[in-house]
Amino acid sequence: MNDSELSTAVRESVAGIHAATQVDEIISRGRALRARRRIPAVAGALTVAAGGALAATALLPFGHPTASAGRPAVASPGRTADRPVSARLAAWTVAKQANGDIDVTINQLKDPAGLQATLRADGLPVTVSFSGSLMNASCQGYQAGSTDALRDVAQVHGDDLVIDPSALPAGVGVAIFDEPGAGQPVLSGNVPTHGTPPAHPPAPPLLTALNGPLALGLVDASPQCTG
Amino acid sequence: MRWMGVETKQRDFAEFYRRAADECLRAVVVAAGDQDTARELVDEAFARAWARWRTVSRHPAPEAWVVRTALNAGISRWRRRRREVSVPDPAVVNDPSAVGGTSLGLVDPQIMAALLRLPARQRQVVALRLILDLDTARTAEALGIAPGTVMAHLGRAMAALRHDLQPELQQENRS
Repeated sequence: MNDSELSTAVRESVAGIHAATQVDEIISRGRALRARRRIPAVAGALTVAAGGALAATALLPFGHPTASAGRPAVASPGRTADRPVSARLAAWTVAKQANGDIDVTINQLKDPAGLQATLRADGLPVTVSFSGSLMNASCQGYQAGSTDALRDVAQVHGDDLVIDPSALPAGVGVAIFDEPGAGQPVLSGNVPTHGTPPAHPPAPPLLTALNGPLALGLVDASPQCTG
Repeated sequence: MRWMGVETKQRDFAEFYRRAADECLRAVVVAAGDQDTARELVDEAFARAWARWRTVSRHPAPEAWVVRTALNAGISRWRRRRREVSVPDPAVVNDPSAVGGTSLGLVDPQIMAALLRLPARQRQVVALRLILDLDTARTAEALGIAPGTVMAHLGRAMAALRHDLQPELQQENRS
């Protein structure tokens, strides 16, 4: 019996085993785990804020001059100590990772101009709108794009966006906006049926932020649209 | 204008779970030697993966992350239970029927018995290399050991399995 036959025999010996737990149940357990993790972290953050050490940067959106000048990075996944400061208290945070990715955490749909300026300062051609309209009227959707192209550029994880600027095709930028019908949870891929009809064909809602569904798409880059 | 959607966290994770859950469970069954425990550990590991999906989704081998997490959870559980009641270390159990859950008819009893006779580390290497089909480098990374050590463990495990199973498989072929 050679290695290949033996390997096949080992694999086939357990081939009858299948996971039986539904993914919804796993996610429910995961949510409970995450909630438990956040409780002590938030308490720690509030203690620090009470001491005055991080109050200024924690409570200001990062678009504020003070915050953007000395902007603390969003905590890396292993650094839970300072993560709650940015995740729970700031309207949004932006952090550029060593690999060039830009992490955006949006907790509240506030100060879109500040977010837009911060992202542009990090080299991302972007337009941001939290006013219910799809985007800047001077923006044009990127016609040649595909879902795969957008997935290469951005990943959405809950209220976090991870954007890879290097994956943007030449002459293409990013639009971040909230959808009409804010506050109504809408399944991804569905078109909202309420709210003011947008000036452009509606985008599929992509994730639910605190104040409503948040969406992200690709647009043709131009000075008027993406800076 | 054409807009393209990006996947939500939930859809991403659900896709990963559907794709990887069976393989992860099989790997943990091989490593832990017990189906019931393996199911609990893998569920726990996937729940943890969901809780930190932002990190896990970027992992070069998220399946390895899940299996490693499940095995670590198993070690923690074994240590806790060991203080309360006498629990056999799966690494020293020679009879698969003595380990709950492996006699449910979903595994080959001869091969599982041979796997259970391997040292724990060799079973982990077999689980990651043969069941998850990870390469040597990823296996080494997941287990926190050197690539050369992975190759040595795999070589010894294959030799031991061949020695254990050769007569049985030959008998099956003859019949």
